[in-house]
Amino acid sequence: MTASQIRGLPVVTVQGGEDVAEVRDVIYSPEAGRLVGVTLNKRGFLAGRSREVLPAEAIHAVGQHAVMVLDESSLAAPEDAPDDVAHPAMERNVLGDDVLTEGGASLGKVADLVLLVGSSGEVVGYQIDKAGGGRGYIPLPAQLSVSGVALVVPNITEEFVQDDLVGLGAAVDEFRARLGLP
Amino acid sequence: MSESFQRSAGRKVMSRSSAKELGAVSHLLVDAQQRQIAAVVIGRGKKAQLVEWAQLSGFGPDAVMVVDEGALRPPADDRERAAAEGRLELVGKRALSERGNELGKLDDVTFDADTGALEDLLIGDRRVHAGSLLGSGSYAAVLDESQEPSP
Amino acid sequence: MDTIGWLILVVIVVVVAAVAFVVIRRRRRGGGVIATKDKG
Repeated sequence: MTASQIRGLPVVTVQGGEDVAEVRDVIYSPEAGRLVGVTLNKRGFLAGRSREVLPAEAIHAVGQHAVMVLDESSLAAPEDAPDDVAHPAMERNVLGDDVLTEGGASLGKVADLVLLVGSSGEVVGYQIDKAGGGRGYIPLPAQLSVSGVALVVPNITEEFVQDDLVGLGAAVDEFRARLGLP
Repeated sequence: MSESFQRSAGRKVMSRSSAKELGAVSHLLVDAQQRQIAAVVIGRGKKAQLVEWAQLSGFGPDAVMVVDEGALRPPADDRERAAAEGRLELVGKRALSERGNELGKLDDVTFDADTGALEDLLIGDRRVHAGSLLGSGSYAAVLDESQEPSP
Repeated sequence: MDTIGWLILVVIVVVVAAVAFVVIRRRRRGGGVIATKDKG
């Protein structure tokens, strides 16, 4: 599933059956290729940011309709959560980032992040709006660099742009092999 | 004897000691961890009262018998107040798996009228054993992952 | 103002209110996809 499908999902307690918050930002590690945590909004139509955050370790499951936690104590105060989640680097929002190869060719713009369903937050790649139009998917590359403006990727990423999510899973392994990664 | 939430809604509640009618069943408050009916909510709104399952002499097909009128009391905490307002009602509640996927709406819940123990949860045309219930509240009833639809 | 004038005014107010709601909600709900600062 994608990060935009996770944003806005209610955070529901397994034991209490209560919707205690809503997902605001999705925070991931490009290096580790995994979800690190989410920041939260309060529930309600015009409700704003919640002080508490949810580190990935405290997430019981992420489903199509809800992010599940065991109980309210899974939500962490900022001082009790990892810095990346408590104080996310908002300037490193990758949505809309230009996807640039190290050779200087633009493959498109980042539209979304793709995560593996039912895994514990594994990130498999990015959904991009291709430079020539249309949607594409690229496997999570060995980040050369990431900022809030651009994602710099190895040249061979250009060969690995997929048309759909089905191809993405298979592409990840081959891509990593080509880059000589474990 | 097996009873259901839908069938018992609106059933009259009588005092065993005085034979007086005390009201009608509006909601059944459930202890999800025990998979047990904890209390019966009688009446609606500000005048709603609770009676604990242990204070019933019987939950019969024609009337719910309370040992004594004195067993009725107003809601004592947030959870009981929420139950009195109907926010914890299981019938019509969204059923969510512990994996975070919606399973449908709870159409009805059956229970043993003698013990108050929950038996089955009816979701659409599926009958799920109440042992799958992990928790329930105002937003959803959470079922364990054995209820995930097969891929 | 005649009836048509009032009607147009009402429509404009409703549209502005709706747009304002959407904008306010989007700003209050926020949300992005944030890359952590690794190698740190």
